Amino acid sequence: MKRPDVNDLDEEIRGHLALSIQERIERGEDPEAARKAAIKEFGNVLLTRESIQRVWRPGWFEAVEALVRDIRFAFRSLLRAKGLTFTVVLTLALGIGANAAIFSVVKSVLLRPLVNRDPDRLLYIRQTAFGIGTDNFLFSMPEIHDLESGAKTIREFGDFSTVELRFIGFGHEPRMVTAGVVNGSFFDVMGLRPALGRLLNNGDDGPNAPSVAVLTHQFWKTVLHGDSSVVGKSIRLGPGNATVVGVLEPSVPYPAETQVIANIVTSPHHLGAVMKTQRWHRMTELFGRLAPGATLEAARAELTAAHTAMLHANAADYSPRAHVGLQVTTLRDQLASPARPVLLLLLAAAAVVFIIACSNVANLILGRSVRREAELAVRAALGAGRGALRRTLLAESLVLCTAGAALGLLLAWPLASVAGHYAARFSVRALDARVDASVLWLGVGLAVVAAVLLAFVPRLPSSDRSGGPGLAVGSLRMTPATRRRLRIFATMQIACSFVLLAGAGMLLATLNALQTANTGYEMRQVLAIDVPPAAAAPDSTTLDFFREATRRVGQLPGVVAVASGIIVPWRDVNQGLKFQFGFEGYQPVAGEGDPTCRMRPVSTRFFDVLGIPIVAGRDFTDDETEPVAIVSQSVAQRYLPNGNAVNRHLTFFGSPRRIVGIVADVDDENVVQAPSPTIYLPVRQIGLATRLFVRAAGDPYTLVPSVTRTLRRLSADQAIERPTTLRDVRAQVLSPQRLNAFVFSAFGGIALLIAIVGVAGVLAFSVSARTREFGVRLAVGATPATIMTQVLKEGLGIVAIGITAGALFGYGFVRLASSYLGALRMPEALPALVAAAVLVTAALIASIVPAARASRVDVLQALRSE
Amino acid sequence: MTKTPDDRRLELLQGTLDMLILRTLQWGPRHGHGIGQAIRAQSDDLLKVETGSLYPALHRLVKRGWLKAEWGTSEANQRAKYYRLTPAGKAQLLRERDKWSQLVHAIGLIMNPAPKQE
Repeated sequence: MKRPDVNDLDEEIRGHLALSIQERIERGEDPEAARKAAIKEFGNVLLTRESIQRVWRPGWFEAVEALVRDIRFAFRSLLRAKGLTFTVVLTLALGIGANAAIFSVVKSVLLRPLVNRDPDRLLYIRQTAFGIGTDNFLFSMPEIHDLESGAKTIREFGDFSTVELRFIGFGHEPRMVTAGVVNGSFFDVMGLRPALGRLLNNGDDGPNAPSVAVLTHQFWKTVLHGDSSVVGKSIRLGPGNATVVGVLEPSVPYPAETQVIANIVTSPHHLGAVMKTQRWHRMTELFGRLAPGATLEAARAELTAAHTAMLHANAADYSPRAHVGLQVTTLRDQLASPARPVLLLLLAAAAVVFIIACSNVANLILGRSVRREAELAVRAALGAGRGALRRTLLAESLVLCTAGAALGLLLAWPLASVAGHYAARFSVRALDARVDASVLWLGVGLAVVAAVLLAFVPRLPSSDRSGGPGLAVGSLRMTPATRRRLRIFATMQIACSFVLLAGAGMLLATLNALQTANTGYEMRQVLAIDVPPAAAAPDSTTLDFFREATRRVGQLPGVVAVASGIIVPWRDVNQGLKFQFGFEGYQPVAGEGDPTCRMRPVSTRFFDVLGIPIVAGRDFTDDETEPVAIVSQSVAQRYLPNGNAVNRHLTFFGSPRRIVGIVADVDDENVVQAPSPTIYLPVRQIGLATRLFVRAAGDPYTLVPSVTRTLRRLSADQAIERPTTLRDVRAQVLSPQRLNAFVFSAFGGIALLIAIVGVAGVLAFSVSARTREFGVRLAVGATPATIMTQVLKEGLGIVAIGITAGALFGYGFVRLASSYLGALRMPEALPALVAAAVLVTAALIASIVPAARASRVDVLQALRSE
Repeated sequence: MTKTPDDRRLELLQGTLDMLILRTLQWGPRHGHGIGQAIRAQSDDLLKVETGSLYPALHRLVKRGWLKAEWGTSEANQRAKYYRLTPAGKAQLLRERDKWSQLVHAIGLIMNPAPKQE
């Protein structure tokens, strides 16, 4: 039956009135009087219309209407309980916000598909050498050739190696760019498309192709401002010219973040004999695309077999100690796998926070509903059904949870970006983590779950239960069941908080150990300054510039000493220079080649300025007459054992150098210290210096203006960048660890806060419900101190059980998690004890207020109150 | 203005209005005003149906399919909505009448017990 619209109803009512008037006039009434009487008789037109319309509304409309009414009622009653509302909303917001943020990151790293075509068939092939502690041994060209020949499961291979090339073009200053050098099939294997122009193909392969380059989207967007006219232009790349043929679409920068991807002819090194023929010269990453019908398992089996055969055929080149192996995975798994355990742990932490938040809110709501039992009983007595009462409670919890979810999702935005930066260390995909609609649904879902749970936590008054709350109860009374529930929730919160706090404590302990570790450098007083060479190529003017700069800066007041070099500890080690050295009297193990050491070009007084002790021999002088070197202690011990290493020789690129000194070991690569064999060569013999080190008497940063002025006076347009003390440089390096500790401490802190509110709330409530009991006991001779102690004991009891449960749960969780996520570290005893102590102290403080109130109960008042 | 003696007026028993409307329409379609007048006239002015109850009841019966509403013109040339019994409405009227007579009978038995037979 069609529902009549408003006009239809109005017309019907008008018709009724007209008929009524007509009839009265026919009976002889005055028209005006008839009209008035008819209208009076009809009554309220709007009300009638409204009740007709209600007839036509569907049944659920009434229920919704009632719920809306309940929600309005809930708003009013919550506004009267501002403290409770605030606590509940904030608690839920923290719980939901943390979950939404972590979930966005998890989604973007683990669940979002790659832009690459058919990512399931795109394989990443890696050579490992766990025996010498490297999980990425890279490949040399002869090795790639061995793997490629005869492979049936792989349709095509793509290789990629990273080089630093000088880039001049588009009117920009000369700059060093990180370039990927790839073979012709690389882009086809990766399944990427151009955003502009074309990508490289097999026609660009080989030594006779013209030099061509593709720009990465990031570089094109940020440096060239998305200029679409770049395609077809010529640039200087490395020693020669290259034509830009296209721009790559935005994609995950793997295996390395590059600005330019070029073909092999752009890099003379790739055309050289060493690259082509030396099996030990490993610098290339390998990708493959599965042949039609081939599976990952088949490819893994075939490639592993080929690899094993290669190891046998060239046994002399592979030391058994190195345990060289092969890993074949899809690129997607390779990108996600390092982040998975961390993200799942974070997700678990967020879930724990959510549980704590919910149980705390449940406690608050439970307390509130016990206080409201009298009100609910009155409503029940007046005829409200159980459904109506439940609806009242549901409306209230819906309002609370919706507000909590809304605030939580607002919090999720900044939290997601923090979490994204955090997770970016493990997977480049985390950086563009965004809070999106699916997260919104997650938030809504969590809120609804919480709301429904909360609405069913309180007990309803019922007529048939004699023990239930009745109308007669004037004051607050708690049934044992309610008390048990309150305690269970509080215990759960303590248990969860303990797990989080112990975890955070462990991370803080690690961070502390790292920060206080002795690095071997003078950290506070040394200012490191980047002074990049202005000219395209370094030459003697650079060295002269540095010699003069060193002299003049050294004369500035407040400067103790000055030196130059190429590498700022920690900051520049990624462009680390590692070379193979030969040592006089040292015979390398077969198959390993000459030992690889770090090489650092440094000037005179470098060791003095950076506080590295010279153990034996002497420092470099400004005018060495022969090729010389200084080695670190571990080099001397490992490769030049018998007696003093000074005055013995090492070979670097085939030419011998005399060792003039031995210095202490420093490690500026690893956060955890390990001896790292280093060989220092004089900058004047290497021909390049780019960094200035200034040791200051006072605050190093006050020297920056005078040093800058001095350098500019020498060369007017000299770039002077990033003056930073070594201590601050290292602090930046440690920031991931700090972030680690920070994130988990934040979780732990939130949990602690919520748990304290929970314990205090439960005790306060329990005390106020037992006022009469305390009054009676005081009246029959209990002392206030006894009562106070008893309440404190109650609080500590909750905490003790909670911590025990948390320790057991945490132990079980770590055991369980390690079997899925690999080795996880169990917190040591100290952080766990500290966490327990923090919780006990917090609970004690939280118990003191209610305990004091219990001991101050006024006997007469308490007894009279019922 | 006609004055009906209020003390003579009877409260309509809950649920009986629907039955009275169905009964009034047994002899042919009427508009809302006519239905109200008919109930009043046939009850000898004892029952007066408020428009605020009459119209929601009419629409409820239409929604249930017992009545059908059509626009028409009254004898005085006034456009009005006419209500007509549907077959389902006729069946419902019979059911209601049965129920009603049972109820009247039952209440009658209680209020006027038959003299006991010795």
